[in-house]
Amino acid sequence: MKKFLHESWLVVLMGGAFAALLATTQSATIDRIRENERQDLDTAIAEVVPDLGAGRPPEKLRVAEHDVYRCRDARGMLVGWVVDASGVGFIDKIRLVVGLSPDGRTITGVKVIGHLETPGLGNKIETKGDEHFYPLQYAGKSTQRAMELVKRPAGEPHEIQAITGATYSSQYVMDIVNAVIARVVPELPAEKG
Amino acid sequence: MAEEMSHFQQFKSGIVENNPVLVQLLGMCPTLAITNSLENALVMGAAATFVVVMSNLITSLLRNLIQPHVRILIFTLTIATFVTIADMTLKAHLYQVSKQLGAFVPLIIVNCMIICRAEVVALKSGVGRSLADAFGIGIGFTLALSILGVIREILGSGSLTLPGGMKLLELPPGFDPHAWIIMILPPGAFLTLGVVVGVVNYLRQRKPKEVPA
Amino acid sequence: MSVDLGVMFGLFLSVVLVNNLVFQGFLGICPFLGVSRKLDMAFGMGCAVTFVITMAGVITWCIMHFVLHPVAGWALGDPRALNFLQYVAFIMVIASMVQLVEMYLKKFFPPLYTALGVFLPLITTNCAILGACLYIYMKDETQQLLNALIYAFGGGIGFAIAIVIMAGIREHIRFSRVPRPLQGAGISLLIAGILALAFTGFTGIGK
Repeated sequence: MKKFLHESWLVVLMGGAFAALLATTQSATIDRIRENERQDLDTAIAEVVPDLGAGRPPEKLRVAEHDVYRCRDARGMLVGWVVDASGVGFIDKIRLVVGLSPDGRTITGVKVIGHLETPGLGNKIETKGDEHFYPLQYAGKSTQRAMELVKRPAGEPHEIQAITGATYSSQYVMDIVNAVIARVVPELPAEKG
Repeated sequence: MAEEMSHFQQFKSGIVENNPVLVQLLGMCPTLAITNSLENALVMGAAATFVVVMSNLITSLLRNLIQPHVRILIFTLTIATFVTIADMTLKAHLYQVSKQLGAFVPLIIVNCMIICRAEVVALKSGVGRSLADAFGIGIGFTLALSILGVIREILGSGSLTLPGGMKLLELPPGFDPHAWIIMILPPGAFLTLGVVVGVVNYLRQRKPKEVPA
Repeated sequence: MSVDLGVMFGLFLSVVLVNNLVFQGFLGICPFLGVSRKLDMAFGMGCAVTFVITMAGVITWCIMHFVLHPVAGWALGDPRALNFLQYVAFIMVIASMVQLVEMYLKKFFPPLYTALGVFLPLITTNCAILGACLYIYMKDETQQLLNALIYAFGGGIGFAIAIVIMAGIREHIRFSRVPRPLQGAGISLLIAGILALAFTGFTGIGK
């Protein structure tokens, strides 16, 4: 026992000191980190519901096992819904938000907010800087029919063009969107006016 | 042998003669994984430099107290702590980059070069030399990462990005930025590093042996 | 807790072929390059890594779910509150485990110890181990212990396959004329690049 103490008192002491150091750093940074994570979501919501403007903070609901945000503008009018959805992706899960019109019949936007896809390629589902910015294609699409991925410019209204070289990631995003259409849209609470 | 090197030479050797990536071939995992953009390379390099500096500093300060049997444990504990600090700091202040670096920030803990410096230098040397060594290794690492980052980003994405998102370079419209997409994919990482290491070896083998001053 | 064989098999296949830790995840590169010179050493390293990674994956999973979360929940109200200790806890576990394995082998399987002994300290710094443990914690599919086990084991197998293939190739090229600057690491990396390209062909399996 004495030998053990003699050899390891430093380890234990340092362990304690470092734990304290870490706890301090944690409290110093945790707020900003949570804020960053929340901001990703807030920014994404604002992007997919274009009429939100300086509206009220979205109200979070739970619909068909998804987090759904009811978005009202500054006057209290319903301007859209945002569904937080995730699904399987190429490398790991993809998390995105789907913006829907107040009646739930049209997609107002799609934004990917979390993924580990192949950098530079699969993550084109998220980044801008590309004319064929993939998620933009979803805006305006109807939710009455599941969408289909094609490798050429979209012809039919329900078609979306895949990202060259990232067909799988494109498909995974689409699968998530289609799942939202199928499971969440029918369950959205009806809003009168 | 190490005693004959001045602090400055110790510092310089980490960058040139003993470059952790290009010469010692350590720290390969992050080198391949995150060098798809210059921004990622610089931030990773900075984080690793922070960790190796703190690790060497503490190890050197405590060198007379560290028992041989537990030294690896102490190194590991120290490194893991500072990596956690770096990770938290990145998530708080450079959130987007930290998302791109992903699990490779915590993987700095198992980057052989850091624990190697603690064992080989910091355990036996004073604070001055240990710091010089740490900074040298850190800058050497960052430099190696950046070389790869520049090559891969320009060829693979047609751009050059600095931490914070500022772009240094953009292809004129009309050029497909992803013509050589393979460069930012895993195979491109291996191939680029292979070529760069080959070039470095070629340069090293050509150099006549230096005469000690 | 459901036991879905299809999902589990898909998970296994995915981490061995599609998301191979070496070729897609960039983990375990140092030993992959360093120990792949000879086939028997590569095989030994592959076995050792598979063993350690499986145990480490399970143990770290248990630490997070049975220790860290409950303690944080009980003491601080938020199960995620002690997550900042994750990296320290993981690496200490892995390092200790490797030490224990080393001592165990030395005592009970001396010939195995002599064969593998030199690798074991290297395994601690193998990013594949820590990497796999971290991914297990982060991924949705591995939130169940059985899946975590499969993922860890598959990760090890994937690494073993990668390193054995590499060793096989390198033994062959021992008799080829490789330009001097490329000898060793240079040519290995180029070969790895081609292998990575080949493995990209596996994408999509299991989905």
